[in-house]
Amino acid sequence: MSHSRNSRRDFLRTLAIAACSGGTAAMFPQLRMMGSALASTRSLTGYKALVCVYLAGGNDSWNMLVPFDTARHDVYADARGGVYNAQSNADGLALGIPAGADVALQKIIDGSDASGTTNQYFVHPKLADLATLYRANKLAFAVNIGTLVKPIVKADYAILANRPPQLYSHSDQEGLWHQGNSVANRVVGWGGRCGDVVHSSNANQDLSTCISISGANRFEVGLSTVPYRMSSSGLSSLNGVCNPTPCNGVSATSVRDNALNALLADTYASDFAGEYSKVFARSRDLYNLLKNGLDATTLVQAFPANNSLASQLQTVAKMIKLSKAQNYAARQIYYVRLGGFDLHAGLMSGGNSDHAALLKLVSDAVSAFWQSLAPGDVDAQDEVTLFTASEFARTLQSNGSGSDHAWGGVQFVLGGAVNGGRLYGNGGGPIAGFPDQHLVAPNNFSRGQMIPGIGVDQYAATMAQWLGVTSPSDLAAIFPNLANFGSSNLGFV
Amino acid sequence: MTRFSIAGGAIVALASMACATARADTHDRLFVYGFDPATDPPANANEAARFLTQATFGPSPADIARLTALGYDAWIEEQLARAPTLGAPTVEQVVNARTGAAQNVSQMQRLQRWYWQAAYAPDQLRQRMAWALSQIFVISDQSSAISQYVVPMAGYYDMLAKDAFAPYRTLLGDVTWHPMMGRYLSSFRNQKPSATTSPDENYAREVMQLFSIGLILRDMDFSPILDNGVEIPTYDQTTITHTAKVFSGFTWSDAPTAPPNFFGGGLTFAAQYAPMECFGTEWFPASGSGSNNMRHDITGDDGTTATPKTVVGGVTIPANQTCAQDVNDELDILAAHPNVAPSMARQLIQRFVSSNPSPQYIERVAQVLDAPGANLGDAVKAILMDGEARNPPALASGDSYGKLREPILRLTALWRAFNAQAQPADAYGEVKMTANNSLTSSFGQGPLESPTVFNFYEPDYQQPGPFADHDRYSPELQILSEASVYSSANYYYNFSAKAYVGMSNPPTDRPLIDLSTLTANATNPAAMVATIDKSLLYGTMSSTMRTTLTGMLTNLNGASAAEKAWSAIYVTMLSPEFATQR
Repeated sequence: MSHSRNSRRDFLRTLAIAACSGGTAAMFPQLRMMGSALASTRSLTGYKALVCVYLAGGNDSWNMLVPFDTARHDVYADARGGVYNAQSNADGLALGIPAGADVALQKIIDGSDASGTTNQYFVHPKLADLATLYRANKLAFAVNIGTLVKPIVKADYAILANRPPQLYSHSDQEGLWHQGNSVANRVVGWGGRCGDVVHSSNANQDLSTCISISGANRFEVGLSTVPYRMSSSGLSSLNGVCNPTPCNGVSATSVRDNALNALLADTYASDFAGEYSKVFARSRDLYNLLKNGLDATTLVQAFPANNSLASQLQTVAKMIKLSKAQNYAARQIYYVRLGGFDLHAGLMSGGNSDHAALLKLVSDAVSAFWQSLAPGDVDAQDEVTLFTASEFARTLQSNGSGSDHAWGGVQFVLGGAVNGGRLYGNGGGPIAGFPDQHLVAPNNFSRGQMIPGIGVDQYAATMAQWLGVTSPSDLAAIFPNLANFGSSNLGFV
Repeated sequence: MTRFSIAGGAIVALASMACATARADTHDRLFVYGFDPATDPPANANEAARFLTQATFGPSPADIARLTALGYDAWIEEQLARAPTLGAPTVEQVVNARTGAAQNVSQMQRLQRWYWQAAYAPDQLRQRMAWALSQIFVISDQSSAISQYVVPMAGYYDMLAKDAFAPYRTLLGDVTWHPMMGRYLSSFRNQKPSATTSPDENYAREVMQLFSIGLILRDMDFSPILDNGVEIPTYDQTTITHTAKVFSGFTWSDAPTAPPNFFGGGLTFAAQYAPMECFGTEWFPASGSGSNNMRHDITGDDGTTATPKTVVGGVTIPANQTCAQDVNDELDILAAHPNVAPSMARQLIQRFVSSNPSPQYIERVAQVLDAPGANLGDAVKAILMDGEARNPPALASGDSYGKLREPILRLTALWRAFNAQAQPADAYGEVKMTANNSLTSSFGQGPLESPTVFNFYEPDYQQPGPFADHDRYSPELQILSEASVYSSANYYYNFSAKAYVGMSNPPTDRPLIDLSTLTANATNPAAMVATIDKSLLYGTMSSTMRTTLTGMLTNLNGASAAEKAWSAIYVTMLSPEFATQR
């Protein structure tokens, strides 16, 4: 018997239908105009860029930053099923406390904590280069950060409205990280919304504030901002037609080129055709703008091969150098991405796609990027802030081969403007500091999923303010839940 | 389908599923059409080509003739009855031949066969359905868990083709038990809890979120069901943790059981694509001697056998069952959930016809899929025969009917419209199709090569601009970027300008298209454009495009006939009108 929908239909009719998946702005287009009207027209000077490094799949970040002192390390190791050993403890996920020469490579001190009992940590062995940047005060860790509607403790969790929607779902949580808030799913991100505000300060209005080297992403979509998507292999020419366009003479190539341009210049009743032609036309225009400059832009710093994140960051470095040299923009936002972090299995297994291998890719790529920003090369270390994001951390508890989806975790930020060499764990809420890693801790769930102490909103708003989005009305519009939190600026940059 | 009542805590008696034997001629498919049923046969060749654009990898003159002769209904029935063209046997032969000759083996062998099937397999509707299903029941060689498994991944795709018209419950079971899915979503060698571990939750989550019910309760027209204006989740984290117990104990089909070796097996291709075995109580005792080999979690919610497993909807599965009983109970529960029909209907419509089906269209198809004894063949027929598929609205500004064509489908349409001649098989039995490139990074998509389990694009993607502004969906635009528009175009060039019958030094790694229908009119630009319109755009070319292409061909006066022909094809393939399927 088929499912009767009559009762459901009646039920629906009696309800007021709330914001649909596109958000209220999608239902009421005039709200988008209001959003634009909020955008600041203040002219920003100098140059600043944010670089979002998205670690896709849910980074097992409680193995990025680990307590060094025995007391807390024992708790951590116990929760993770013991220190991993391929022969004797293949189920375990914990890292051992570094010893000997490794101590100098991995150990760091939390500069904000005066107590020797609690201020010692070590980074994952593959992140030694990042530890060096940390000790130079250029890199900081944000600790126990995740999606939140407002600060809560475990007793608040039972009420649906107190927590973000669809926790533990990759696509939903990634969407909220891109949004910079835990309002139900929207189509815009905080990077794109910042782009709306700052774009008027950019001398070249054809190049988007937001540039993606890794495809479509919600983070860089604003009310009027659309990211310019580039490939890490640079700008290739288009076969059979003119590059750049148009070209001189009456060759067959030129004839085809004119025809293509005519088709792309036409208006289309179908929005699919219209959007396609818009993207294609923009691609041709920006090829014209950027191709020669990008080809001529070289970097002193070599980037590691066989590292997709490094290739992407190399393109970012070149674009920053070109943008500064040509004065295209005062403010830019870049997006790069590394996948493979959803390690339900094989987290520690030692293969070339386990957590250690991935973190090595991150460390090598980010270090090379940092070096390329040095004076004598791109020369923008003080003007660039790089930050990580990932949809959630992973369960402390093992499933026998890996870990499953969790919540609050660790991120890092890097830049000349960053107040590095310390942990940022206090967002002014009831949960603060490096968390208790007992599986039965008051604000953990049974497999070591942690309620975050800092919201993504706070993390993102801190960087938005550094970028130049400072007016209270702009911040409230981009981060509508920010007022729920104790602090709207964590102070790391 | 029988509905399970949503009753907390009670053990629900499971009605047996009515599994249709799916013989086309005994299966009643009357009354499945929309309120404006299609007239049978198509009114003209253009309408036939439009239908075939939706239903196949691209219209060919032969298919247009066959459809015109049979009419829509009989053509679909003929396609539904066709046996599946399989890939794994050929891929296995090629892989063995290459291995024997010390040649490298990679997923390229699977891809060559896939592109050949897309271009040439006679069971086009079934192949097109398998392609759609592969974007829902995603596995991908981008995961190191299966990237080396070339032949078994071809076997997984064959399973989708075989089940393309089967009941949904059959497909769900075959997907769940397939070792490639097991490895991809880590139910493979997932174990019952220990003192320090709990079962992996990956498959439990994704089988619900992506393969069956989705995240929120939905009506038959896919609209969310709201409680005081708030969406209602279909499950929570606790449900996931309980459901994870069900999908435990899986291993290779040939893992030894006497003496037992849970970590053994997988020794042959056949064993690597046969349904997984489960080390549950059907093989080993739950306690006592030998119980350490029992890997399936037979416990209930509290980790003991005193409670049942409470899964989605508050429905319970008894503790202490065999693995097969647990899995079958869980899949029966999922398949019976009211969300399945609208979720599958909406996604399938998006793959075949349009990105923004009306709620009424979704509901008509969902009702068909929801009927007792229904199968996916019924659903795809309902999708294609519906008035909303057959009767596009008149084109007016702001039109969002139809969809953006997938990059791969633009290529296969080219091959099928212009009678692409396949290369002879090489020394290893392989027919080269893709110019020695996987095409995946250039197109932004590739068969079983998605970056994540969420497919190349998401069903709910809204392109910023008119789509997002009007709350409309445009999944395929998610992979369209300034970079991909160029990289796709460059391959369309390689498959047209650099791959036609009669060229000097033709390539041997891709099909050669036949330009003769165009070169026959090399001195008549208008006639050439008319051929393009008929072959690639099913007669929908706008007058401005016609003028532009005719002018282009006129200005190519000094070029060879072949260059005029491929120029017309290439520029059309890049055109916004060809990129759109209405």
